[in-house]
Amino acid sequence: MLSNPARTTSELRARLQQMTQRGPLGSGGSPALCSGHEALDALLPGGGWPLGALTELLSDQCGIGELELLLPALQSLARGGRCLVWIDPPYVPYAPALVQRGLPLERVLWIRTQRPQAALWAAEQALRCSGIGAVLNWSEHIVDRSLRRLQLAAECGQTWGILHRPASAFHTSSPAALRLQLQPLTEGLEVHIKKSRGGRAGGRLHVPLRRPVTLHADGSSDALAVHSAAGAAA
Amino acid sequence: MLWLCIRLPALRHEALAADEDAALARLSAWAYQWSSQVCHRRGDESRASLLWLELAASGALFGEPTALLPRIERELREMGYSHTCALAPSPAAAALLTQGQTLRCLLTQAELSSGLAPLPLGWLELPSETRDALRSAGLSRIGEVLAMPRAALARRFGPECCDYLARLVGELSDPQPSFRLPEIYRARCVFDYDLHDTQGLLFPLQRLLQEFQGYLRARDRAVLRFNLELEHVRDARGSHAQSCLTIGLSSPTREAARFLMLVRERLHNLVLSAPIRALTLCADAFTTPAIVQADLFGAAEQRSDELAQLLDRLRARLGVEAVQGLQLLADHRPERAFASVPGVPGVTGVTGVTQALSGTPSTSSTPFATCAPRPLALLCPPQRIEAPAALLQGPERIASGWWDGGDVVRDYYPARGGDGSRQWVFHDLREDAWYLQGLWV
Repeated sequence: MLSNPARTTSELRARLQQMTQRGPLGSGGSPALCSGHEALDALLPGGGWPLGALTELLSDQCGIGELELLLPALQSLARGGRCLVWIDPPYVPYAPALVQRGLPLERVLWIRTQRPQAALWAAEQALRCSGIGAVLNWSEHIVDRSLRRLQLAAECGQTWGILHRPASAFHTSSPAALRLQLQPLTEGLEVHIKKSRGGRAGGRLHVPLRRPVTLHADGSSDALAVHSAAGAAA
Repeated sequence: MLWLCIRLPALRHEALAADEDAALARLSAWAYQWSSQVCHRRGDESRASLLWLELAASGALFGEPTALLPRIERELREMGYSHTCALAPSPAAAALLTQGQTLRCLLTQAELSSGLAPLPLGWLELPSETRDALRSAGLSRIGEVLAMPRAALARRFGPECCDYLARLVGELSDPQPSFRLPEIYRARCVFDYDLHDTQGLLFPLQRLLQEFQGYLRARDRAVLRFNLELEHVRDARGSHAQSCLTIGLSSPTREAARFLMLVRERLHNLVLSAPIRALTLCADAFTTPAIVQADLFGAAEQRSDELAQLLDRLRARLGVEAVQGLQLLADHRPERAFASVPGVPGVTGVTGVTQALSGTPSTSSTPFATCAPRPLALLCPPQRIEAPAALLQGPERIASGWWDGGDVVRDYYPARGGDGSRQWVFHDLREDAWYLQGLWV
């Protein structure tokens, strides 16, 4: 088992470093989930998204790559056998894209309540469950008490609660461990760390995102691709 | 043989059952979890109902009867049944001992003889004339009666009296008609008042579910669903309305606490059309219980068990259609390339019961493994837009569906909206119109 002691030691050292980096307020020793974006991990306490806590994504726009930002972490949760829950998203979570992006469908749960209170209730239940990895929520107006309940539920289940909220929500207080404001850029996202429990707020960084176009191995981009199924069913 | 006798002085009233027999049948099914020999005697105005369980044979499974007894009594208390218990080697003696205020356990033949002797003669289940005659002969204790020559007693009071005494001390075997578990379960509560809100249902339900749990344990079975039938008060037109709630579970279950939690969620949103007069719990389909083993994979098992419980709770409260899984369909038209299914993600492999995503084409056999990237967010239906300013790439032509009337010829492009959003748009070549169908969220 200890065939490579050097590696084991270096692993342990890395873990120790990770543990000591977490500040004195480091969310009670809750683990962090590598975000897959180096520049972002470097700014987050513990080196990643806070598990067992809420993360707020503050933006007035939908479709700027907000989910793309979370995707590497969601993939690793799904690989670890934990489920991902979409609660009342303002769109249909698109199955072919989920599969393409490495999120197995048997790990995806889509909850449609269309009632704000029911959505919050469902989010709380899901966050409390250790079989769940992440809960994505789009509730527009959440009162402080509900936020606290969600935060407690996430702590209890050691799950990751993600709240998509309008930018104006920043002016109200929140128990979320992490609050990020997102702005679209031509080639990615500008992420402004508004609050980071156990870390430093105020950081701004540019996170490059995968472009929605395919580049083939030879470097050429997609030419006219015709999917004609004529006769396929004949 | 060691018999536990439970005296239930207020059974019918406490069970809210239609009659004493129904109440005894419910409780006998519950008691069967601890003993394969259960019998009962229906009470009347003068006598309480009695329930017997033979516990000697259950020793291997449950340990000493004296250790099992507190468990049985605790459940009786939780269900709200007033009772007295006693243990004795013969059913008649156990029944006699329940007349005391305290718990009496006479475990051996020797304990039985010495334990019965000092008890008052009035406890004997003999006709009152017989007891009076014995008293007038100067006897007052059971021991004194047992010491009398049997032949003399038989001449004076008849053979039934001697039979009883012989059965009491275990000299004569005392075969009891054994209770048989029913194949389908049906338990009914009748209220002698109108229930106007569902909160009032919770207490009787708690008891019904605990009895149900006993029945399931007795049969070593579990359920994936059961029904609650609510009978409403006769309305103005004189008809009896009935509503039926089906409680579904994603894994085979028999824990009363879990049932109760789901029922509570279900009742939370229920608006009663009329007050309730009766409630019936019924189950007719049973399955093998899922055994959660504490092995190497215990943590994963527990996690999926928790997940199953979460899904049950969500569906009980929000409705089955609100909790969906996703699956792929082999179709080039983006809006037809998926389906939402009332499935149970993540737990399919564990229980083997709910094959939620069965029939899902494997990803390699679908067009998506090879086709251009798709956006994670789809707008249903697509939104009509003005021709977009910036097309980033493309087009990807999708021409499909001529055979089913959903014929489309579209050129798809990733595009950038004026607000910086990353869009997936198509140009409908037939209509010559532009649509927004997806977002690169």
